[in-house]
Amino acid sequence: MKPIFIALVAVLTVNGVTGAQELSPREIMDRVDRVLRGSSSHGMATMQVTTENWERQMTMEIWSLGTEYSLVRLRAPQKEAGTATLMADKDIWNYLPKVDRTIKMPASMMGGAWMGSHFTNDDLVKESQLVEDYNIEIAYEGDRDGVTVWEFLLTPLPEAAVVWGHLEYQVRQQDYMPLWARYYDEDGELSRTMTFSEFIDLGGRLVPAVMDLQPADKPHERTTMRYETLEFDIDLERSFFSLQTLQRQR
Amino acid sequence: MSEKPWFRIGWRNLGRHRKRTMLTALGLAVGYFAAVFTIGYSEGLMAEMVENATGLVSGQIEIHDAEYRPERSLYDTIGGRDGVNVTRLLDGVSTDPGVVAVAPRVYAGGLISSGESTSAGMLMGIDPERELTVSRFLDELVDGRVPEQGRNELVIGVEMARQLAVGVGDDVIIVAPGADGSMGNDLYAVSGIFRTGMPELDASNAVLPLADLQTLLTLDPSRIHEIAVTIQNPWIANDTAERLAAILNPDDLDLEVAPWTELNPIIVEFVALINAFYGIVFVIVFGVAIFGVANTMLMSTYERRREIAVMLAMGATPGSVVKTVLYEAGAMGILALALGIGISLPLMLWWNIAPIDLSRLYGDLTVQGALLRPVLRVELNLAYWIWGGVALVATALLAALYPAARAARIPPADALSGL
Amino acid sequence: MTQQRPSMHIGVIVTLALRNIRRNLRRTILTATALIIGGALLIFTLLLSDGTHEQWIDSGVRTGSGHVTIERPEFRLSRKIEDRLPASASPAVMAALESADVSEHVTAVFARLTVNGLASSPAGARPAQILGIDPVSEAAVSPLDDQVVDGRYLQSDDRLAAYVGGGLADRLDLRLGSRLVLTAQDAKKDIAGQLVRVVGIFRSGLPELDQSVIHIPLVTASEWLGAGHDVTNIGVIVDDSIVVPSLVRHLQQALADPIARGEATVMGWREAMPALRDAVLIDEWGAYLMFGILFVIIGFGIVNTVLMSVLNRHREFGVLQALGLTPRQTGAVVLVEGLTLTAVGGVVGVGLGLVFTWFLMSDGLDMSQLSSTMDNLQFGGVAIDPVVYPVFRTARVIQSVGYILLIGGVASLYPAFRATTIDVAESMKFER
Repeated sequence: MKPIFIALVAVLTVNGVTGAQELSPREIMDRVDRVLRGSSSHGMATMQVTTENWERQMTMEIWSLGTEYSLVRLRAPQKEAGTATLMADKDIWNYLPKVDRTIKMPASMMGGAWMGSHFTNDDLVKESQLVEDYNIEIAYEGDRDGVTVWEFLLTPLPEAAVVWGHLEYQVRQQDYMPLWARYYDEDGELSRTMTFSEFIDLGGRLVPAVMDLQPADKPHERTTMRYETLEFDIDLERSFFSLQTLQRQR
Repeated sequence: MSEKPWFRIGWRNLGRHRKRTMLTALGLAVGYFAAVFTIGYSEGLMAEMVENATGLVSGQIEIHDAEYRPERSLYDTIGGRDGVNVTRLLDGVSTDPGVVAVAPRVYAGGLISSGESTSAGMLMGIDPERELTVSRFLDELVDGRVPEQGRNELVIGVEMARQLAVGVGDDVIIVAPGADGSMGNDLYAVSGIFRTGMPELDASNAVLPLADLQTLLTLDPSRIHEIAVTIQNPWIANDTAERLAAILNPDDLDLEVAPWTELNPIIVEFVALINAFYGIVFVIVFGVAIFGVANTMLMSTYERRREIAVMLAMGATPGSVVKTVLYEAGAMGILALALGIGISLPLMLWWNIAPIDLSRLYGDLTVQGALLRPVLRVELNLAYWIWGGVALVATALLAALYPAARAARIPPADALSGL
Repeated sequence: MTQQRPSMHIGVIVTLALRNIRRNLRRTILTATALIIGGALLIFTLLLSDGTHEQWIDSGVRTGSGHVTIERPEFRLSRKIEDRLPASASPAVMAALESADVSEHVTAVFARLTVNGLASSPAGARPAQILGIDPVSEAAVSPLDDQVVDGRYLQSDDRLAAYVGGGLADRLDLRLGSRLVLTAQDAKKDIAGQLVRVVGIFRSGLPELDQSVIHIPLVTASEWLGAGHDVTNIGVIVDDSIVVPSLVRHLQQALADPIARGEATVMGWREAMPALRDAVLIDEWGAYLMFGILFVIIGFGIVNTVLMSVLNRHREFGVLQALGLTPRQTGAVVLVEGLTLTAVGGVVGVGLGLVFTWFLMSDGLDMSQLSSTMDNLQFGGVAIDPVVYPVFRTARVIQSVGYILLIGGVASLYPAFRATTIDVAESMKFER
């Protein structure tokens, strides 16, 4: 989730001002990768999760530095306000305000859901390796429902450590806005779909404010994340992403 | 002619060579004890296994929502999302005559953390009072006491305590996904430490009061996952389960009532296997005993050949000679039986009531996931004692057949003339 | 009376004893038969039971970590790559195993890189025990390669191949050829991922294995975890578990330095798998118990027989003593008689038992005839093979014969004692 979002946000960072340019898919991604190192962000978002058993809404504040550091703090619901997740150097810690303790997530829990959503802890931790892990080609260029798009086909390189059979992306040509991303297993069956919408200006840039993740095997379930505020390239040091920050209630 | 003279002759012979009689009888008695002990020990082993498979933690009958097994989802509570009137359901189960005790349970997966260590585990919510009547693993805590409701207390297994480096009085954090999607978490004090002897349970189970767990999981009080039932004895489980299923299901609930034989079928087969060995034990023990008796009877008849010759000369039929020998052997058998019971009864009673503890020599053992403690436990099964007695006397008689036949063929004149 | 030379006394005693045995042939035969059956039964059961235990142990150590296992002390619980053996350990172990006095017993050696990690597929993620193995040596050691239900076991030219348990395959929705990503902490303490593809699926019947074990080639694991040529544990399989203690000592000497630095430890299977050790002990104990009782019975039989013969020959003994045999010598006669009886009966019995066992050795005893349970039985955490082979140990034969002699000797003591208390004059008084 996040890495893809960041990657595409960074695409905008590079290209938004200068306008569309003729770049090969790999070049786009390559540039994205370079830009990722060093870009920082801070924002507020709401996340709504619907499962067959319950529905929940959360408000959270997110800081991130590159792809290796992030801090997420829950602001709502009231019962859980103050709960925070720190991701630094591929380890994950959770802070629980109710008991005022921090727990480190063991490797065996990495497959588990993040904050009860359809995103996994693993999704958070995995570095954006789209360039390194996938072979990127344009599968389709042209019109879809009145919008000119690229559809990228990403196939994992032979030894890439990814579970997906292939990925498909649809990106708007005019402003490089992602429209959707589909994840397939190796049998070609759709496993999950990420949809991007509500392209608005946040923090001085055009971004997809809403990301929606839907598992293919449970069509009634989904997780929807909406950015309310966002700012980029702020003054954030690595030292910010520490256990002390995590444990502070702010 | 009546039987009495032959019996008296036989009986009197026993008295003639008391030492020899006693020795042989003693040998047979020891054989009887051996058989009874071996069988009692095997029965003890089986009972131990069955009881531990069914009474240590899991119940002899378990009632779940039909969807619950095998995934054991948090949401598949009895009665589905609406739950049930738990008290009424428990009472309904208790009305069955075979049922001794019932207890409700709630299960959830979660993380248990203390200091630097976190381990994934299974949380078990229990009703402390009822649970003590149904399962035994909380009876003898290694340390501390059973948790009290409303005080944020729990008990964990020895292995988990070791891994987390906590003891009674220390705090642990439990984090578990709740039924509403929230991340339930809270601080609990370890009020006690248990030891089931089964590594999986001792390393990954945390047990706390049911209401407290429901609060942690944001689970309505009417929602439970399991009702554990203890019955009069493990072997009526199937019938009781059927009856319960019939009573409870029409109540608009989709329930699964599972006896332990369904939950752990291999134990049942193992028991059958051990039963098969009994026959072998009997055969061996008494087979060997035959030789002792045969020997004695041969000697006895040889020594008394003159007396027998006199009997025959006076008109006794060979058949009656046989009878005297057989009566002698039979009487010896009964004597041996009396001795055997005299040896076995006190010893077996002693070991039944106060089993010998071998835990200094061995640790606990699991067979098919059921626990065997290193305790020399024996069961008293009257049927086998009776069968053993019958076998004993039958052995004696059988062993005496050949000597009896030989005795009957003693040529009276030759024997009496001093040959 | 003149003192006779001691050797003649012994000769006399033995002659008397032997002649008595021959005299009462029927009685002798009866007693001897009991001894023979008892002896045969004893040795047969002991050898079969030893065979059974050997099999349990063999199964257990092949699925586990070998009759003897060498690993770092912390590794047992942590299963992390950082707790691997020092580089010097492997060659030292190999060299030690080649030395003459142990090498003849060593059947196989295997070195593994074992870590706990996560296995992920599009369907989800599960904790897993990941073993980097050498396909050739592992196939010789582990039973898992024979328990394949789909596909095949790993081969020496495999690289990104995985052999997974059926339980795990079900939960992660894996088939042959499926992608699988393994994640674990590498040697630099980073979390590293590795792609593998399923080439084979096994079902062992043991949920602990089926739901979490994955085999991958050692070279792949080394690359993935950045461990170079290091391994986490080395296991040795031997042909008879009796040699384990001496092998352990031998290896401890060879690895004295790393052991002293706390970097390695050598464990026998008893230490590494205590549940198995207990299972074997309990079974042995149970057998001993039964035979103890059995021989008490036979002991009584012998006492009976020998005592009877003594009591019946009091006249003869009276005559002998009148002729100069001392009471002690009389007792000695009886003792020798009893011992000879048991010796012959015992040796013949054990001999017969050995022959019978030998016939059985080729085919083994298929316990599954007794009950279908034996097909997938689990005892002490190890799956049991229903076909049982007896194993020959000289120690057991000696033990059996010795035990029988002991019983016979002890049983003859009381009758021998009675023989010494015969009153010479009284005994010769009356006609029999």
